[in-house]
Amino acid sequence: MSKEKVMEKSNLIKVLQTEQKKEGFISDAAIERIAEEFDLPVVEVEGVVSFYTQFKRVPPGKYQIMVCDGTACHIIGSTLILNWITDDLGIKDGETDEEGLFSLESVACLGCCSLAPVISINGKVYGKLDRKKLLKIIADYKKKEAAGA
Amino acid sequence: MIKRIKVGMASCGIAAGAGEVLELLKEIAQDKEVVEVGCIGHCYAEPLVEVETDSGNYIFEKVQPKEKDLQKLLELDEFTRFQPHNLRIDKERLLITSLAGKIVPTSLDEYKDHKGYEGLKKALEMKPDEIVEEVKTSKLRGRGGGGFPAGLKWSFLAAKESEQKVLICNADEGDPGAFMDRTLMESLPHQVIEGMLIGAKATGARKLFIYCRAEYPLAVKNLNIAIEQIEKEGLNIIDGEPVDIMVKEGAGAFVCGEETALIHSLEGKRGTPRYRPPYPTDYGFHGYPSAINNVETFANVPFIVREGGAKFAETGTENSTGTKLFALAGDLKYSGLVEVPMGISIGEVVYDIGGAEPGSVKAVQIGGPSGGCIPADHFDTPIDYDSLTSLGAIMGSGGLIVIGNDRCMVETARYFLEFTTRESCGKCTFCRIGTKRMLETLERITGGEGSTEDVELLSDLGNKIIRGSLCGLGQTAPNPVLSTLKYFNNEYLAHVEEGFCSAMECKALVDVFIDQETCIECGQCIKNCPVDCISEDYVVDNEVCTRCNSCIEVCPVDAIARIAKGGEVSVRN
Amino acid sequence: MSEIKLKIDGKEVIAPEGQTILEVARENGIEIPTMCHEDRISQTTSCFVCIVREGKNGNWMPSCSAIAQDGMEVDASSDAVRDMRRSALDLLLSEHTGDCEAPCTISCPAHARVEEYVRAGRDGDLRKTLEIAKERIPLPLSIGRVCPRFCEKDCRRNALDNEGVAINDFKRISADLYYDEYMEERKDLTGQKVAIIGSGPAGLAAAYFLRLEGVASDIYEKLPETGGMLRYGIPEYRLPKKTLDREIAHFEKMGGIKIFCNKELGKDIEIEELKKEYDAVIVAVGSWSATGMRTEGEELARGGIDWLEELARKNWQGEDPGETIVVGGGNTAMDCVRSALRLTDKPVHCMYRRTEKEMPAEQIEIDEAREEGAQFNFLTQPIKLRRENGKLVLECLRMELGEPDASGRRRPVPIEGSEFEVAADTVIAAIGQKTIAPDGLPTNKWGDVDVEEADCRAEGNVFAAGDCVSGPATVVEAVEGGRRTALGVLAYLKGEKCELPRQINVSRGHWQSLSEDDLVFLFDPEEMGRVPQRLIPLEERTSTFKEVSHTFTEEEIYEEGKRCIECSCTAKNDCRLKDYSEVYGAHPETFGGEKGEPTYNARHPHIILDNGKCVKCGICVKICSEVVNDYLLGFKNRGFKTKVETAFNTTLPENCTECGECVEACPVGALDWKKKKDE
Ligand SMILES: Cc1cc2nc3c(=O)[nH]c(=O)nc-3n(C[C@H](O)[C@H](O)[C@H](O)COP(=O)(O)O)c2cc1C
Ligand code: SF4
Ligand code: SF4
Ligand code: SF4
Ligand code: SF4
Ligand code: SF4
Ligand code: SF4
Ligand code: FES
Ligand code: FES
Ligand code: FES
Repeated sequence: MSKEKVMEKSNLIKVLQTEQKKEGFISDAAIERIAEEFDLPVVEVEGVVSFYTQFKRVPPGKYQIMVCDGTACHIIGSTLILNWITDDLGIKDGETDEEGLFSLESVACLGCCSLAPVISINGKVYGKLDRKKLLKIIADYKKKEAAGA
Repeated sequence: MIKRIKVGMASCGIAAGAGEVLELLKEIAQDKEVVEVGCIGHCYAEPLVEVETDSGNYIFEKVQPKEKDLQKLLELDEFTRFQPHNLRIDKERLLITSLAGKIVPTSLDEYKDHKGYEGLKKALEMKPDEIVEEVKTSKLRGRGGGGFPAGLKWSFLAAKESEQKVLICNADEGDPGAFMDRTLMESLPHQVIEGMLIGAKATGARKLFIYCRAEYPLAVKNLNIAIEQIEKEGLNIIDGEPVDIMVKEGAGAFVCGEETALIHSLEGKRGTPRYRPPYPTDYGFHGYPSAINNVETFANVPFIVREGGAKFAETGTENSTGTKLFALAGDLKYSGLVEVPMGISIGEVVYDIGGAEPGSVKAVQIGGPSGGCIPADHFDTPIDYDSLTSLGAIMGSGGLIVIGNDRCMVETARYFLEFTTRESCGKCTFCRIGTKRMLETLERITGGEGSTEDVELLSDLGNKIIRGSLCGLGQTAPNPVLSTLKYFNNEYLAHVEEGFCSAMECKALVDVFIDQETCIECGQCIKNCPVDCISEDYVVDNEVCTRCNSCIEVCPVDAIARIAKGGEVSVRN
Repeated sequence: MSEIKLKIDGKEVIAPEGQTILEVARENGIEIPTMCHEDRISQTTSCFVCIVREGKNGNWMPSCSAIAQDGMEVDASSDAVRDMRRSALDLLLSEHTGDCEAPCTISCPAHARVEEYVRAGRDGDLRKTLEIAKERIPLPLSIGRVCPRFCEKDCRRNALDNEGVAINDFKRISADLYYDEYMEERKDLTGQKVAIIGSGPAGLAAAYFLRLEGVASDIYEKLPETGGMLRYGIPEYRLPKKTLDREIAHFEKMGGIKIFCNKELGKDIEIEELKKEYDAVIVAVGSWSATGMRTEGEELARGGIDWLEELARKNWQGEDPGETIVVGGGNTAMDCVRSALRLTDKPVHCMYRRTEKEMPAEQIEIDEAREEGAQFNFLTQPIKLRRENGKLVLECLRMELGEPDASGRRRPVPIEGSEFEVAADTVIAAIGQKTIAPDGLPTNKWGDVDVEEADCRAEGNVFAAGDCVSGPATVVEAVEGGRRTALGVLAYLKGEKCELPRQINVSRGHWQSLSEDDLVFLFDPEEMGRVPQRLIPLEERTSTFKEVSHTFTEEEIYEEGKRCIECSCTAKNDCRLKDYSEVYGAHPETFGGEKGEPTYNARHPHIILDNGKCVKCGICVKICSEVVNDYLLGFKNRGFKTKVETAFNTTLPENCTECGECVEACPVGALDWKKKKDE
């Protein structure tokens, strides 16, 4: 009986993931709502959300750039990649630009180390980057956006 | 005649552009069967396409999504055929990845055609303790890092009386330079699940979880398809009772690879570890006895039950049997996934299989953030659990990064410590604060502000963190630093005493210099400098320069280089 | 349940199976420190302060969580174990932000519990103010007037409106009101007796603190009256001698302290004899020899301190010095200038080599001297003094400031060809003083008596205290010196080693270094400037030696008390981190580095939640969720950024005041009652 309810709590992370997929981030209101659904203290849910890096508390940019800083990529120069993007877009690791277009985040291994250094933009992976290639990729996104807008 | 065309569509392949190749192939070869398969491990040659014909199979490497190229491929053009180098073929021993990239991962039938689920079938007819005994005979040790004998762990769980027992597959693969488990799950989901089901029969567990790293969507997808397939066929029925298998996604926390943290995370809590004992086999998921094994551990099990533990133990060494998967990356030619017999030397993996240039390699980093750096003069060390530990590294999960001569070991250590500091759960004092203090100290050293006391602090504090941390994360976090301190002490001292980074990697210790004699005054560097610090007569203002390397990258004649700060003008390379 | 046998620190113990090592140790009287352990809740195992080592396999274990096993050999107290604990505490301190003690208390050389006596005064209990002050300051009437107020300079209130709380005035009014009627608890006389040479602040303080412990003393004074510098060095207008008499009378009232005047060492008494006659001897002869100008004709100038002494002997009725030049920039120079101003209508100059900014004298002294008509000649260096036609002529050089010297002040360098002359009737050299150590005592390179750091002992049963040890300093420093020496003597008399209790103090930093965010308040600070000090009219200040400043009124002092922002930690008397750190020798500065991201929540009327002090022990979280069944507090973030908060960092509900379980259980001051308990 009580086991039944406990089992339910083990779905908390799943539910939070679904929420994030839907909204792009997890708002205070979502935390309160989900806490109520699970009959959990709000502070506990907030604590869980803040523990896992996957959960974002603010809306991310339209294009989420993830710079792989896994071992292979780091060794081959992901720090430079990150700096080049920062120079180009004016946002640092963990930031989103003012227009909400790009957000930048460094992450651990994206799983394609043999293509290091690697970034992904909204899940699409770009490997074997050098400065020129990188700036072109970003420029293409900017162009696409300018054309769309 | 072409029977079918297989495109390597594991994450690595997709990243290399296999998706586009697949689309185009489907278009231009509409009459042929084009399927997606997993990864054969030769990631350096992606995208890879294999064409099955009556007269044998042909693999093509670095296939570009261009119609002309693909046409050639359909004509079985000799020119672009892929031939793995012989040394690698000689040294590899494919016990568990032999099917990877060969069969369609989500095809139960194809798996069955290759002896799939035969091990399970056999196991279902055995008594639980016979299975446990078989695994003990194989001497299979956990592949998740610790190397605990799998058979022994299973025997603990099997001995427990409980209304519910739980078996968990640890697929959190958090080492930032490792992707063995991902490949197994993407390419051979059924093999992992078969291993788990055998484990369920052996231990009496009826609730099975696969805790998978959130960043592995394809693995999750393939596992879920596979689970659906076996449930449909009733393969999950053990002793007349259906076993519940569920894939749970992590949410981005390396520490959740630790057993107790993983369980907390499964329970919907913050993923902080707790003190052991009690071990999970006594008190696990919601208090039920639970056993946790790594993906690769489970993937070994079908072979053991099918072919016998003794057969398995023929491969490898006395105390480390079987094979080990390594994710090879870094400064070498053939990066990718390799499966080698235990006992092979590091050198064989690095030079023979990886194709690294002898003399160009300074060290390997084995075991990721928990592991250590082993210098090149120890490369004849055999890869087995105990030899690696005695060198200050660990087998770890299987990340093997080759570090070339032009990398800074202090910076490498700093990198790993930055990772563990970021991933510390923050519970216990030594890890939460200690790693942070070590990181700050390393930052001082790479930032040119370190002192010899800092170097001493690193080893003193490092050893204390090992002793005084609650879980494996903290207990191993100082390893990358301590092992580099041990083998590359001279580099630390050069940083703090001379302000010199021989690898020219530490920004604070280098200047950027344009060699006027080589420079052809093309103006590319000036154009590309983000902070406009190169003068019209091609001199870098190093006060302003951010050491971004942009100019170095664009210079067509390699006239620009990093040099030791304020030092003699000598161009590297 | 079956029993197991194990060893802890070599001691065989028997315990029921299943107990933790900590439980077994405690039951057998072996102390192991804990931060995150609480009997009522499940174990968190986070602090690792309870760490022990298994002797056989060398494994380290948190004793609160590790179950005792049969045959274990637990090492719970070796140096290696203590070293690990110290490091754990060092690490906890390295991320800690707070102020164990208020800056005023820290900066008071006597370490009086300043914040507490200010609070008592503000709350209207000035008698208690006196009691607290007298724990460390047996001369509150004098020090309440003449102290340079180290405490006020460091007072955190400065960060708000650039004026510290008028701390010293609390002492002054409390003493003015209650000094005569208050008699402290004293232990019965033990029969032991100490000879004290010198009745200045150091000698008096030593006698006082000895007497509190039951040790009698005879004080020998060379001059006709008691008080040393207080009487002969500090002018009447700052400290009326009637007040001083009142202060010193108390010492004889304490019973067991006797003062004999006109007893000069080497003439009337001899150390060698005192050493035999008494259980111990304390030399507190001060630092009385005026340093000369080190120029030709320096003998024509009066030494500052000698001049003041002569004036004091004449009961501040000295003759008109005529036009006067005082050379020097310290407090003695100011005392000379201002005394001269009171005796003459002619100009009085102060000549100093550097500028006003570098003057070591108290700013208030400089300002008041100026108000009284003093003329300052900065960047001027005397080079020769001669007498000419009944006048003194001083040859001088103009200076400019060069590079900073060892003291950090910019060194004055002469300007070539800038020589000039000035004439005066009196030249007073108030440049400094030197100690003349009694013969036979060890001295250091400054000529001061050389004593052991730990117990202030010079040799045998001879101890020393005050200016003759430190060189010329302040009254409050002399009093502290006297107390330290008394402790040394007491330990000596008991045949013990003198060990001062180790104290650590976490500090947010000096108010000048604090940013807006670093400033945190227990309560919203009152917005009000410092209550001004009332002075007697200027005419009286230039013609009489009447005391210049008035004591605050009670109303004024209550008002001023509201300006105190109560800087010290609410938990300072009840903090396990502080206590263990003191025991294990941990220190906030061992590791530098980034502090956490402290969030400070003082919005609840009675409870404060200060994450800068949180050690992440999790006790509060579990008390509330497991014991109280409420779960109002939880962990947020992870790694170094981990913190404990309420949901969305809101304020705890009002009715937590009735519960308070977490507040009581928090091992440090992170969760605490806002209202401070004294002691
Ligand atoms: C910080 C930390 C991270 C870990 N990450 C993983 C992981 O990603 N995958 C894994 O299989 N084991 C990981 N482990 C090891 C597991 O805790 C556990 O030992 C292992 O899953 C047991 O399986 P095995 O016996 O089959 O190796 C990690 C341990 C620690 C301390
Ligand atoms: S060692 Fe680090 S990760 Fe492990 S419990 Fe302690 S703080 Fe958490
Ligand atoms: S390294 Fe970067 S900042 Fe420095 S000169 Fe080259 S382009 Fe400019
Ligand atoms: S919590 Fe303890 S250590 Fe921290 S400031 Fe308060 S008394 Fe000092
Ligand atoms: S505000 Fe009060 S407690 Fe703080 S330093 Fe000033 S007098 Fe002391
Ligand atoms: S005082 Fe409030 S927060 Fe603390 S234990 Fe009680 S109910 Fe919980
Ligand atoms: S606030 Fe809570 S977690 Fe922090 S020290 Fe106090 S009781 Fe421990
Ligand atoms: S390290 Fe970048 S993809 Fe693995
Ligand atoms: S870890 Fe044992 S008391 Fe904190
Ligand atoms: S500073 Fe403490 S009394 Fe003056």
